[in-house]
Amino acid sequence: MSIIHVQDLSKVYRIVEKDPGLAGSFKALFRPRYKDILAVDRISFTIEPGELVGYIGVNGAGKSTTIKMLTGILLPSGGAVRVLERDPYQQRVPNARDIGVVFGQRSQLWWDLPLIESLNFIQRIYEIPPASFKRRLDEFAETLELKALFGTPIRNLSLGQKMRAELAATLIHDPQVVYLDEPTIGLDLLVKERIREFIKAQNRQRNVTVILTTHDLGDIEEICQRVIMIDAGRIIYDGPLSLIKARFGKFREITLETASPIGLFALPTGAEIVQQADQRLTLRFDRTVTTASQVAAAIMNQLEVADFSLAEPDLASIVKQIYSGALHA
Amino acid sequence: MNRLRHLFNVYGAVLAAVPKFYTAYRAWVWMEFVVQILAMVVLYFFWQAVYASGGALGGLTFQQTINYVMLAQMLMPLVENRLIFNFGWMLREGQIAIDLLRPMDFQARLYVDAVGNLFLNLLVKAPLLIMAVVFFQVQLPRDVTTWLVFIVALALGHAVMFFFDWIFSCLAFYSTETWGLSVVRVAVVTFFSGAIVPLQMMPHWLQTTANLLPFAQSVYVPVSFLSGVTPSSAAAQAWLIQLAWLIGLGVISRLVFRRSLRKITVQGG
Ligand SMILES: Nc1ncnc2c1ncn2[C@@H]1O[C@H](COP(=O)(O)OP(=O)(O)OP(=O)(O)O)[C@@H](O)[C@H]1O
Ligand SMILES: [Mg+2]
Repeated sequence: MSIIHVQDLSKVYRIVEKDPGLAGSFKALFRPRYKDILAVDRISFTIEPGELVGYIGVNGAGKSTTIKMLTGILLPSGGAVRVLERDPYQQRVPNARDIGVVFGQRSQLWWDLPLIESLNFIQRIYEIPPASFKRRLDEFAETLELKALFGTPIRNLSLGQKMRAELAATLIHDPQVVYLDEPTIGLDLLVKERIREFIKAQNRQRNVTVILTTHDLGDIEEICQRVIMIDAGRIIYDGPLSLIKARFGKFREITLETASPIGLFALPTGAEIVQQADQRLTLRFDRTVTTASQVAAAIMNQLEVADFSLAEPDLASIVKQIYSGALHA
Repeated sequence: MNRLRHLFNVYGAVLAAVPKFYTAYRAWVWMEFVVQILAMVVLYFFWQAVYASGGALGGLTFQQTINYVMLAQMLMPLVENRLIFNFGWMLREGQIAIDLLRPMDFQARLYVDAVGNLFLNLLVKAPLLIMAVVFFQVQLPRDVTTWLVFIVALALGHAVMFFFDWIFSCLAFYSTETWGLSVVRVAVVTFFSGAIVPLQMMPHWLQTTANLLPFAQSVYVPVSFLSGVTPSSAAAQAWLIQLAWLIGLGVISRLVFRRSLRKITVQGG
């Protein structure tokens, strides 16, 4: 039995276009000109209990819009959502009791008050039995290293501490589904690591279903078995992470800076040009066909290379390749 | 029974949180104190001058009038609702997402919050009330009945005003001009609620207008009981009228909010 069911879900934002200046404001008031933005375009998927799903896409792809519709705070323009056999928009409050949400850009904690005050408030409004509240609190104090922070006002917490506190507040009522919209944004590697461990452990121990958006492919790699990729409001990939990794994990990009303008040169075997500028060249090669040193050596034989660097393909280039048909090939 | 305990738990937590935020504005409370003492002095001498030639005005004696204006002055918090600013801020910042995801009724939560704030505002004003009695001749009722009548009328009147403000605040969903809107609102409500002068003293057509608007339910009705302008024998009728306003505006406020909610796009993310 699926826990989340999304069918042909769409969202159109209607915004008023306004000319600059006072006259523009005035005109917009009486003769508004509308522009529709199709943020989510007939997407469908289902999610089973206990799944860890990475929801990825470039900026403005429609991730947050989807999350808002799943949580029930945004009315879909078309299609249907069911979460735990409810319509989250129509039954927002009962739905809210069973889910947890982190919006990476905002906080559910009280800014001026110590963390424990927010947690106590959450205990009362979710009616968490005192014994299990205490148990969870002790557990989180340990796994999220919060013990020293309970008495600290939120405004005095660092970004990483705040995110850990946020996760505690989101999971303390033992939700069945958790939506995490960019929970690792702006955090250093150590904190990211801890948060990833925490999410995985919660999933293992309590079978909580997690939907996670992120721009950090490391998050996905460590946490998620399944990836849904969205671009311009459409789902362009839904499947195991391993398939993407198999397809794109074998590619590397090498960027070379040359001392003088690049003239004619022969492309090393197994490599293709991604970008070429005056004194800068980016090549992509298949690791199973050739190696970095072979490619670099072949170029260095022909050109005077001042500097070079090696990178894994990022999300944007993966999206680009999926579009050019790489996954279906 | 379980349902009752559930409501008590959830909204009790909301109520218990109110003072935690209230203390943050203590400096502001003291400033208001000074302003209000000045206002009492001005009111006292103003009305003394008005009544200097003796007699009654709009059927009210000097004593009734001074009781009324001083007590109305203390109920000013009813007129200064910040709901529209709250809405405007929550929508602009997208913070409304967090509040809509709390496992409770959004409106009920803000209502409980408003009740808590009203209570604290009045509590803070207790010293002013004592000053009004000691220095400005204000006479408070000595029988419990009048106080009870007042408290019920105040609770009902506050709820009427809350629902009105709720409907009004939904304008924040459609316009970002919350500041301008709220200036107009405060001016209109202050006047027609009877927060400055008792309705009896207004010209006939203004009285009629005031009675067609809900605002008098919040200040005039409770204060007129407490100040002895209206006898407590008229309580039942007054309560019924308040209740009618409350139910009418309450239903409309739910419908309007449901409608407005469809429009929100929850900025950011
Ligand atoms: N409140 C809004 N009003 C109008 N348009 C919006 C609103 N929110 C989002 N959009 C538009 O909808 C599209 C999808 O936005 P969304 O926030 O869902 O993207 P996202 O995938 O979360 O991006 P990011 O990775 O940058 O957070 C974008 O084109 C955005 O400009
Ligand atoms: Mg987003």
